Amino acid sequence: MGCDIVTVSTDTQFVHLAWRNSEKELAKVQYPMASDPTGKVSRMFDVYNEDNGLDLRGTFIINSDGALMNAEVNWYNIGRNIEELLRKFKANIYVSRKTNEVCPSKWKDEGDKTLVNPGAKMVGKVHEALAG
Amino acid sequence: MSECCGGLKLGQKVPMFELDTYEPTKGDFGKFRLEDQIKNKRWTILFFYPADFTFV
Repeated sequence: MGCDIVTVSTDTQFVHLAWRNSEKELAKVQYPMASDPTGKVSRMFDVYNEDNGLDLRGTFIINSDGALMNAEVNWYNIGRNIEELLRKFKANIYVSRKTNEVCPSKWKDEGDKTLVNPGAKMVGKVHEALAG
Repeated sequence: MSECCGGLKLGQKVPMFELDTYEPTKGDFGKFRLEDQIKNKRWTILFFYPADFTFV
């Protein structure tokens, strides 16, 4: 899909190595585990907590031109939903290819109903457009 | 939400940055550079989390 996942925490790369190789839950992890001990990049994305030096649960989708297309930040006590992340990622890829279509709220994957050429004719007629 | 992240805005280019990494596929340390992602026309998902050795 031409996409790379990179995890980031303020732990050093040495701790990432130790964790990856000792925790069996991570056995399938193949993506790079990045280290931001000074919080420089974390602050850029506004997920660095100055009180405890730990990052919030933030996920950011950056397109192949380097533009930020999506941001989601949760407090520490709520995990992120991987299916939702994949859904948003797939939607981003889809609309970057089909620039005259938009993904409505129920869209989950390619093949689901989209709105084509939304414009003046669709105003007030979205229900019909989705049903048609 | 047009301004959500320390000056970053949705739709705008993210400033170039570089991070040290551990790469499980190589079993070695490396570097992640946003510049390389753009050069290779690849999307990136950055996934921040609090700390290693804690509970998902």
